[in-house]
Amino acid sequence: MKRRELIKMLGMGLSVAPVSLNAPFAFGDDKQASSSRKVVWVMLRGGMDSLQTVVPAFDKDLMKHRRALAEPVIDDLNSLGQGFGLHPALNHLYDWYQNKEMAPVVAVASPYRSRSHFEGQDFLESGLTTINHDSGWLGRALKATSKQGLAVAHSLPVSMRGQANASTWFPSRFRVAEDDLYSQLFKLYQSDDLLRERLEQGLQTRAMAEGAVSGNKKAHFEALAKAAGLLLKDDNSPNALMLEMGGWDTHDNEVFRLNRQLQQLDEGMGSLKKELGSVWKETLVIIATEFGRTVKVNGTMGTDHGTASALLLAGGAVKGGQVLGEWPGLKSSQLYEGRDLMPTSDIRHWIGTAMQQHWKMSDQHIANVFPDLPTGKTTLIV
Amino acid sequence: MMNDRHAVIAANRFGLGAKPGDLNIARGNPEQWLLNQLTLPDLSSGHPDSGEVLDAFYVYRRKVNRFRQQKMMEKPDNIAGQLFVRMAADTVYGAVKDEHSLNWRLLDFFSNHFSVSGQGGMMKPLAPTLEREAIAPNLLGSFEQMLVAVEQHPAMLVYLDNAKSVGPSTRAAGNKRGLNENLAREILELHTLGVHGGYNLEDIQELAKAISGWSVSRPKESQHGFVFRQATHEPGTRVVLGKVYRDTGIDQGEAILKDLAIHPATAKFVSFKLARHFISDSPSEDLVKAMTETWRQTKGNIKSVVTTMIEHPDAWHPTPAKLKTPREFYISTLRLTGLPLPNARLLVNTLVNLGHAPFGAGSPAGFSDKSSAWDGADALLKRVDWVNMISRQVRMNQPPLELAQAHSGSLLSDHTAKMVSRAESRQQGLALYLMSPEFLRR
Repeated sequence: MKRRELIKMLGMGLSVAPVSLNAPFAFGDDKQASSSRKVVWVMLRGGMDSLQTVVPAFDKDLMKHRRALAEPVIDDLNSLGQGFGLHPALNHLYDWYQNKEMAPVVAVASPYRSRSHFEGQDFLESGLTTINHDSGWLGRALKATSKQGLAVAHSLPVSMRGQANASTWFPSRFRVAEDDLYSQLFKLYQSDDLLRERLEQGLQTRAMAEGAVSGNKKAHFEALAKAAGLLLKDDNSPNALMLEMGGWDTHDNEVFRLNRQLQQLDEGMGSLKKELGSVWKETLVIIATEFGRTVKVNGTMGTDHGTASALLLAGGAVKGGQVLGEWPGLKSSQLYEGRDLMPTSDIRHWIGTAMQQHWKMSDQHIANVFPDLPTGKTTLIV
Repeated sequence: MMNDRHAVIAANRFGLGAKPGDLNIARGNPEQWLLNQLTLPDLSSGHPDSGEVLDAFYVYRRKVNRFRQQKMMEKPDNIAGQLFVRMAADTVYGAVKDEHSLNWRLLDFFSNHFSVSGQGGMMKPLAPTLEREAIAPNLLGSFEQMLVAVEQHPAMLVYLDNAKSVGPSTRAAGNKRGLNENLAREILELHTLGVHGGYNLEDIQELAKAISGWSVSRPKESQHGFVFRQATHEPGTRVVLGKVYRDTGIDQGEAILKDLAIHPATAKFVSFKLARHFISDSPSEDLVKAMTETWRQTKGNIKSVVTTMIEHPDAWHPTPAKLKTPREFYISTLRLTGLPLPNARLLVNTLVNLGHAPFGAGSPAGFSDKSSAWDGADALLKRVDWVNMISRQVRMNQPPLELAQAHSGSLLSDHTAKMVSRAESRQQGLALYLMSPEFLRR
């Protein structure tokens, strides 16, 4: 492992404590034949709007419901075939698609239907029909296959919990919060003049001192994804790694915000692939979010909490270049509760199928991971 | 409804935040719930006392001198830094763990009132022993006992140079040694009467002479810690604030301190500071008067004075007038989230980064008790940074809104509740609550 490189790379105002660096490399030898087959699990927290990401340009009702959101991007979409187009910010992901290394799955959801971020995330991460905070689907997969996991996080997310051999790593003193937290704080202080003023002054000073704050933030997910690539390249590296990215809760100003989010996601994914080098062809990347958003644009040029969203499967190991899943349609009668994209398949079915094929898991093993539903026969892994 | 509001005020304005389930108990009778917390704070044993710290320092100093001369042996370990962080952190651990917190707030107040700085080879390990030995055990008794214990404590005697003060007419006095007025001046200005308390330069000099000889043990002396040295004590009668004190050795200074402790100016000054610390930067005259009167009636019984403050209507004004200090913010966050307690060094470093280093006021006046001293832009951002980091470390198995409701009760605004419940993740919801006006103010 190029530990030096990692330290240098994170030198952009981040320092890595040697202690925490040692943790991920303390893995024993994995005798598994498939030990080089990596899984990268990317959790998008906040509810990614799939209709603005994997856009059903063919659906005549799209413009009826959300012209204000679709119009600014519709002419720049990258065609995925079947009438779908990929948001223009997703450059790397589109290259992958053309190389048959990326496959979006449309209209998927976990069994959860109540539209709360927290519960939705817990559901998806548990991978069960009820929330279990002590057991996550990836944790169970690691346990079943005796593999190692690593979450790029301060504490172990629900996804990897459950007696799995999983640890966490995060660059220490990662000082800068995401843009989103600051903008939330401005809203929070709407009637507290003192705190709002101080926050503004502080951020201005910081911006002057450190160059544009947003420039700093932009590096945030990208830096973590890059680190993830480095961490996975090592001989004793973990088999599965989890990344988290917040900022998807686009209740307002969605065109701009989602564009920025997707850009950061795409840059991060680009750096991940670049760092992985030859390991890329053995890698499965799963990008998921807790739920989708309302089909109609709301009064603040955004969307509210919805139900179905899209899942992105990617990586050199993936049989990509196709849009998977069944399209439910956007007529008002076809929407879930008259407002959300209708889920046509369970997100766990796709994750389970891909995991089983990628790690060559027995039916019994995969049944430990997702006990509530059988995996499918669709070939998702090359 | 009023009781609910008062329970929240009790927990946050006077305490360090309710522990889970505490608010329900407090609602029954918030005032009584608070008064029941007037118990002595329990500091863990197993730390060296000030006498042992002095001895260890002398041993270290001797070794260092030998090391410098001989250049042969190994450089001796300096344990001062380690002792300092362990003792400084111990107080925070106690405040986080205890179900009571008003008593820890009082300890914090008096520890700052009698501020000593943990800077320099000797003061570093000595500073944290002052609150442990002189303040905590005397927290709820008469101010006089606390005052005498503090002024005779090695940390204070070393910090304000009285340990080397020598009576000018004693045989020990000479061109290198003489009277040091430093401690006497601060006793009058900061610890008792206050700067406008009606004393003059002569009073300072007379007090300095009365407490000359109040010193600390030297290396290899049979006593450890505080030592009264008759040989360096200025003989003779002293006159302070017009009152005559016969020379009775160590008792002379003690007699003056006892009178200072019950002096009307002291009663008013310390009452005002208490009210300013807990309630508002400019407390009402009526409140300070009530506390001063209790001070007079009880001869400076701290528990009674604090009780008067709590029983006064001003204590329960609905709008928080103060921001939490970084230390209060830090401790109340740990109490609320149940985060694993950080190790001592990390804990002290965090407080340093938040701008509230333990024993780090750097002056005998202590940290400011005014809210405006703590509301800087950078201070706020430092809290955001820290909260952003730790909110990801909390294992949140309940919605953050529940946490916020349990902690702020009916004082939680609809707006904050909405923001917290709509956050994109539990972690962000927690971060928003910890940075909310409801949590930052008290």
